[in-house]
Amino acid sequence: MIQQTQFTKTVGNAAEINELLRRYGVKFGIYKNGVFNEQFFPFDPIPRVITAEDFASMEKGLIQRVDALNEFLFDIYHDKKIVKDGIIPEDFIYISKGYLAECEGITPKNKIYSHISGIDLVQAKDGEWYILEDNLRIPSGASYPLIARELTRIAAPLAFAENEIVDNRGYAQLLKETMEHSNCGGIRAILTPGRYNAAYFEHSYLAEHTGSVLVQNDELFVEDNVLYHRTYSGGKTRIGVLYRRIADEYLDPLTFLPESLIGIPNLMEAYRSGNVGIINAPGNGVADDKGIYYFVPKMIKYYLGEEPILKNAPTYLPFYTEDMKYVMDNLEKLVIKDVAEAGGYGVVFGSELSKEKLEEFRKTIIAEPRRFIAQEVIDFLDLPILENGDGMGDTQTVMRKADLRAFVLSGEKTRVWASGLTRFSRNPASFVVNSSQGGGFKDTWVLKQVNSEQ
Amino acid sequence: MKRVNFYYSTKLTFDDYVHDHSFALRIIPPETDTQKIIFCGLNISPYVSTQQTADAFGNNVTSGYLKGDHRFLDFEIKGSAETDSSRHRTDYMPCYLYQSQYTQPDESLKAFYNEIKGRCTGTVSDRAESFCDILSDTIEYCKCVTDTSTTAAQAFALKKGVCQDFSHILISLLRMDGIAARYIAGLAFCDGETHSWVEYWTGDHWEGIDPANNCPVSDDYLVISQGRDFRDCAIDRGVMFGKYTRQLQLVRSVLT
Amino acid sequence: MSTISKEHSDRLYWLGRYTERFFTTLRALDKMFDKMIGKTHVYPEYLNYFGLADTYTDDRDFIRSFLFDMSNLNSAASCLERAYDNGIVLREEISTESLSFLQIAKDTLKKAENNGSIRLSLLPIEDIIYSFWGSVNEHIFDDEIRNIIYIGKTVERLDLYMRMKYPYEKVKLEYVRLLKNLRRVPKGTPYRYNTAQLSVIEETLGTREDYERGTGGAIDSLGHLFDTSEVYA
Repeated sequence: MIQQTQFTKTVGNAAEINELLRRYGVKFGIYKNGVFNEQFFPFDPIPRVITAEDFASMEKGLIQRVDALNEFLFDIYHDKKIVKDGIIPEDFIYISKGYLAECEGITPKNKIYSHISGIDLVQAKDGEWYILEDNLRIPSGASYPLIARELTRIAAPLAFAENEIVDNRGYAQLLKETMEHSNCGGIRAILTPGRYNAAYFEHSYLAEHTGSVLVQNDELFVEDNVLYHRTYSGGKTRIGVLYRRIADEYLDPLTFLPESLIGIPNLMEAYRSGNVGIINAPGNGVADDKGIYYFVPKMIKYYLGEEPILKNAPTYLPFYTEDMKYVMDNLEKLVIKDVAEAGGYGVVFGSELSKEKLEEFRKTIIAEPRRFIAQEVIDFLDLPILENGDGMGDTQTVMRKADLRAFVLSGEKTRVWASGLTRFSRNPASFVVNSSQGGGFKDTWVLKQVNSEQ
Repeated sequence: MKRVNFYYSTKLTFDDYVHDHSFALRIIPPETDTQKIIFCGLNISPYVSTQQTADAFGNNVTSGYLKGDHRFLDFEIKGSAETDSSRHRTDYMPCYLYQSQYTQPDESLKAFYNEIKGRCTGTVSDRAESFCDILSDTIEYCKCVTDTSTTAAQAFALKKGVCQDFSHILISLLRMDGIAARYIAGLAFCDGETHSWVEYWTGDHWEGIDPANNCPVSDDYLVISQGRDFRDCAIDRGVMFGKYTRQLQLVRSVLT
Repeated sequence: MSTISKEHSDRLYWLGRYTERFFTTLRALDKMFDKMIGKTHVYPEYLNYFGLADTYTDDRDFIRSFLFDMSNLNSAASCLERAYDNGIVLREEISTESLSFLQIAKDTLKKAENNGSIRLSLLPIEDIIYSFWGSVNEHIFDDEIRNIIYIGKTVERLDLYMRMKYPYEKVKLEYVRLLKNLRRVPKGTPYRYNTAQLSVIEETLGTREDYERGTGGAIDSLGHLFDTSEVYA
């Protein structure tokens, strides 16, 4: 394993690359005090390096995990064997906000629910990779490393000549194939809530690079249970697969939230009738619920009859008496997550709470045990970050927390993109790396397998 | 067993033209263990092509899309069925055990449950009937104080409501008591309008109970749709565009 | 993948118009800069073209406002911002590369604001906009999509040239260009021209004498060229 601490070569000048990223519009929108601002997602020029050996086992583990999650989703919306067999308590399924009873009995094409899975991992100091969370609804972030690689290859050709790095620029092709696999006859479209969405850059970039039409709901309609794009000549073009970047609840005002202004009426009828593929499937939230996370290793054994290759971070469910006792006894050293929150919100470190707050929190957990999970704080392997790399002043290398979002695409086969989004925290004290919380990102290198004789 | 004739109509009128009107109707009674549909005709005006599907809860969904300008949408069903309340349905779904949007209790409804639960013991049916008895003593049947958006907690606070509110409160109590329960929308003899009642799961099958009238469900009830609460059973849902400011809905229903 | 919605066709059209408005505004201001050498108070001529009120203290105030002031809707900066606003929702049609030229133009304009020699620092923008059009030509495979942008561009150019009283020959050339673009528009689409409006423009540009008699009617008709009420084409 390459020690990250030793690899501090940069892929070009940070200021130059950030300037190029700006030029190509790599931005994400953010609302602060009700005002929309576009921010650039800061890029750090020191790549994260993953060895071929590490990646090979990670790849196997991720495929295994996503395959099991897809089996689970099919099971939950059909026979519910895993509940009947007592592997997962019923409560965890039906109280989950991500479970949508409206999706019962719907079978998506090829039984694939999670076409694009964003699995967040961290590497511990001992080199072991741990799964932090699964994102099976609308995981974002693939476009940033994709465009960054285009630019780093220009900025630092030597780094790519000297290192055997797997080319990651095939993501769009991979995504296109994944979309085609779920195509029910028609064109490919990406549904965006609009340019004021945080991930709008990504929506438009992926549309451009997969040859899909970028659409908003007012350009679409469902007629005779078929989804159409309304053309400017008064005609209609059939859509066979819709990669939607809006949340389930807003997808169809006639099935879900009636007040949704960004949805498509009767989309669910078209979907249920098998006339359009929806990527990812509505209802996936039940499988990436923080409470369900605990059960994923059990799912792997249950559905695949295999031992999990990748480990979960040690997790406790206060729902179980035994775990509740452990959580109460060790609250000050655990990290507690609210299962209903996402994007780095609702994460509390016991060590950061005052005595009074800790007692208060203890009561909250006892009152609502199902709402929380508790995890051991993993001793992250910090990554080197070039500080002041984007401005004036002396640059220096500092160590920061970072995670890795791996993208797993389920089409004809389940495949792992040989790259990923490495996000880091710019705040030395913080474990939270989300872009919405001010983090940055790095290029992620997966090294090619080298012959041992070499 | 009884032979019943049913009729239901809705006239939606807008004060200006609307277009791109998508709708989903849950209006065609399902064929179940307790009711056999002998015939059922659906008329929609203006003419529009429609599709039939069955949703997750087993309801017949009629969906359509009216592209051009129009100022009204009328639809009616006419048909006859054989109802047999001595038989039972068994289409269970686990979600019926959990509170849903309309039935989520607030603190005072929870307190009410805790206060009365000691008086509701015995078999599942005993408990359900006791809850229903207590409810009819607590809530006054009264039109005009609640509407289709009123939740169980809100209606309970008012201590007044219509059949929909009685159903939501009863479902909320049953679910708090660990009994799976579902909302039924349908037609009943005693009513000139659409009616709603509740089915609870005995552990083996569904049993109907009418909380607004505090009586068991008989052959005089025809199921149109079922779900976790009113939201899953709305007879018509629609989205349309135009400069209209008001829509008027006229409903007529008969069961004979 | 050729399915164009009404929303996107409008965006394409206005992308063309605002990019051109930015470009021609910039060139006109450069001309004003030149006239200001050795003279003062020359700017009212520019305001007269557009019937704008004179609220400026001097030439410098006028130039800065029309170049950089985002609150001035007629400024180059405002036009560019609106071009970018339309472009950003058209990435998959016009390409990331084309869009990047608008971003570079924005950055260059911004830098020029604080530069001692404004005119010099604005020079590269002309190259950048030519690159944008080159990129549009290169990256858009669908003729229908490209043509909508070009229609926006030529309509805008014709409008501005007439307002700014460009010589007849130049205006006529742009009109011919517009006709070529208009003939490519498929039937039943929003940028199919209104023949009644087109014939007004045709008459105004019939001869030099017609043109010099006044262009008010033609400018007006240009604004209604795509009215759907009387489409005979």
